[in-house]
Amino acid sequence: SPSLSPQAFPLRSLRRRQPTLLVACGPAQNGAVGLVCARHLRSFDYEPTIFYPKRSPDPLHRDFTTQCEKMDIPFLSYLPTEVQLIDDAYNAVVDAVLGAEGTQGTEGTEPCAAILATLRHVRIPIVSLDVPSGWLAGPVGGSGDISPDVLVSLAAPKEVARRFRGRRHFLAGRFVPEELRRKFGLSPPEYPGSDCVVAL
Amino acid sequence: ERCRCLPRRAMHVPSPGAGPTGLRFLGQEEAQAIDQELFTEYKFSVDQLMELAGLSCATAIAKAYPPSSFTTSQPAVLVVCGPGNNGGDGLVCARHLKMFGYQPTVYYPKRPSKPLFEGLTTQCKKMDIPFLPEFPAEAEFIDELYGLVVDAIFGFSFTGAVREPFGSILSTLERVTVPIASIDIPSGWDVEKGKADGLQPDMLISLTAPKKAAMHFTGRYHFLGGRFVPPALQEKYSLNLPEYPGTDCVLQLT
Repeated sequence: SPSLSPQAFPLRSLRRRQPTLLVACGPAQNGAVGLVCARHLRSFDYEPTIFYPKRSPDPLHRDFTTQCEKMDIPFLSYLPTEVQLIDDAYNAVVDAVLGAEGTQGTEGTEPCAAILATLRHVRIPIVSLDVPSGWLAGPVGGSGDISPDVLVSLAAPKEVARRFRGRRHFLAGRFVPEELRRKFGLSPPEYPGSDCVVAL
Repeated sequence: ERCRCLPRRAMHVPSPGAGPTGLRFLGQEEAQAIDQELFTEYKFSVDQLMELAGLSCATAIAKAYPPSSFTTSQPAVLVVCGPGNNGGDGLVCARHLKMFGYQPTVYYPKRPSKPLFEGLTTQCKKMDIPFLPEFPAEAEFIDELYGLVVDAIFGFSFTGAVREPFGSILSTLERVTVPIASIDIPSGWDVEKGKADGLQPDMLISLTAPKKAAMHFTGRYHFLGGRFVPPALQEKYSLNLPEYPGTDCVLQLT
């Protein structure tokens, strides 16, 4: 997660003068990954802003929130429905809303549905963590699916990633032991050297 | 030399403790205070910071001693882990070294019975990282079998006398000729004053910020790791950390 944006969107390539990013975090695991990602983006000198409307009660996730707050990362109290405001304020959106949890059709619960409704209309690039939020399992996508520019698969690409047609697909989460890879028939990822991200 | 490595160009840094713009070298109490603040004020967990620290160490090692530079038939590394958090950093480092294509072996004689350390040990074992039942009796055996030793015995909390078995281990390591990479503090050194007749590692990976002992370090490679210090904390302690390159988790100081 930490290296995903800089490779796809190096600081010097951003269109806005300020390296602003919107990080939309859902209520569960995918959202927590988003919080950690935001913190590392901040240490890489980006200016992330987090939208985290429904907070996980998990103590670990609450600590992630505190860590972000203590890094002076702002938390939006609401997401503008006026999409132009988002397009104007940020260079890209990090989608950490539902991830793989959403493939079973949980997008309907608020506030995720509202976030996704807005994300469908943004013009700035979307970077999705693990699975584009709202994408359901199955070989064919829905017409209302968000179209991320960048997908960062975590640990291993998920089935729905086969439908990804965006610009860059990365693999991250270099922690899967070889024994586990063999057990699940995962092909060995070719991470270069000591990098924790590889472009697929 | 069992590990012939490419020389690295040193980055320019201001001289240590030279004033407000110089990189600061911390005293022991300061280092402990910063650590405590990261946990109590910033709510980092030990697991989080240990993982980032261990990853930094493995990354620095990969930069200075790439697998291709080893003259042993495999890039074999001996990781010696002490009884505390420095040992934990070593376990994390060993696991990432395995991921990076090295063949680490761990020696971990004194294991705290806490879930954190038990978990880290299990993670290593499940990656097929062997744990030696005994420390190699002679320095020559270490030189024969390994191209690098990682010293993860004592860190910045170390005070007082060295308890066994670590006294004997350090005596042996002092006679080893393959490079030694120390995590945070060369083990056995006073955290502020160093130890002229002690371990002389080839590499030091300072975590968070260098400690005063690092001013006595004469090895080839000094890296900074532990890229997790929030800007507000850096300012509070005037750490004056140089900029890490891009998204790297390590910075080569010399």
